[in-house]
Amino acid sequence: MNRLLVVFLTLLVSSVFAHTNEHANLGERASSIKASGKVFHGSISIIRKMHPEFLRHKRDKTLRQGVRTDEHSLKGCVSCHANKNKTNNQYHSVDKKDQFCSNCHQQVGVSLDCFSCHRTTPKKGSL
Amino acid sequence: MSKTLNRRDFIKTTSATTIGVATIVSGITLTTFANANKMPVTNEKRWGMLIDTNKLTEADIDGMVSACQQEQGWGSELHSTGNQKPGWIKKLKVRDKATGKISNLALMCQHCEQPPCVDVCPTNASMKRKDGIVLVDRHLCIGCRYCMMACPYDARSFVHETLSNQKEHMPRGKGTVEACTMCVHKVDKGEAPACVASVNSDAVIFGDLYDASSKINQTLKTIQSAQIRADLNLNTGVRYSGI
Repeated sequence: MNRLLVVFLTLLVSSVFAHTNEHANLGERASSIKASGKVFHGSISIIRKMHPEFLRHKRDKTLRQGVRTDEHSLKGCVSCHANKNKTNNQYHSVDKKDQFCSNCHQQVGVSLDCFSCHRTTPKKGSL
Repeated sequence: MSKTLNRRDFIKTTSATTIGVATIVSGITLTTFANANKMPVTNEKRWGMLIDTNKLTEADIDGMVSACQQEQGWGSELHSTGNQKPGWIKKLKVRDKATGKISNLALMCQHCEQPPCVDVCPTNASMKRKDGIVLVDRHLCIGCRYCMMACPYDARSFVHETLSNQKEHMPRGKGTVEACTMCVHKVDKGEAPACVASVNSDAVIFGDLYDASSKINQTLKTIQSAQIRADLNLNTGVRYSGI
């Protein structure tokens, strides 16, 4: 009985740690911000859960009302979370396999439609 | 009983007040700058354009078209052919039947006050901002192209192919309708649209039609100008003179 309990607890603890692990592909600028100790997103769990709502809310405000702030802008997400290809110094698209956005979206099986229109790499010279 | 203020106290109080005032003032200036794009646009403004066809040369129009292409990133579609090619702004030749006078027009979305494209849109994707700029919300656009049929100016295009490497400020994608945005991303920053900036003379004037002190308002008051298809009572934001 005790042995079962130990197995159960180990599984429970490991599953918790599995979810708090580092993002494999955080992106170039986001990694440097994180390394510098600055906090960009107040709560990671909130941004993970709520980012579609934030983006949807922001897109309407920007397009329909002309509110152009940096908060919750998709441009902002891409500019921090895009990775660079070390060999040719070009950015990987955030929606390509194993990059920041697609990494989770593939895992949870949610299609990602932002980038059929939006630019997938930071603008040249924006970093 | 009189209290004398010694030198040390005087310096302390004055410096404290100066610092206090400086903080408040800098705070105020900072918020005014930051507020520029934080507040929703209002209907106190109506953006418009006045194109003088007598001053505008053909080369100017070509310059306007290429400035638009460069700014918004259209025109390099590989697989679209003929009518499929997008045209946000085009050069149009108009001939007077009686005199044979040929005028060259730069024709783009006329940013109507009563836009037919908005009337017919089934998903509310075709929309007009409060400051008069007519846009397509591609998030909602289903690509039915009713707006293209409704537009009397043939100002809208449909994207027929998968695109990549779009401009950061201008998302474009297959299956949606697009048109001149009056460079809304620049206008919101207080700049003039790309096509207007590309013309060196004052053949194209951009500004707030409602603002009595603006150049466009004053020019429209003094010269003869026309709206294309004024008979439709759409009250366009883009006006022409010399036609």
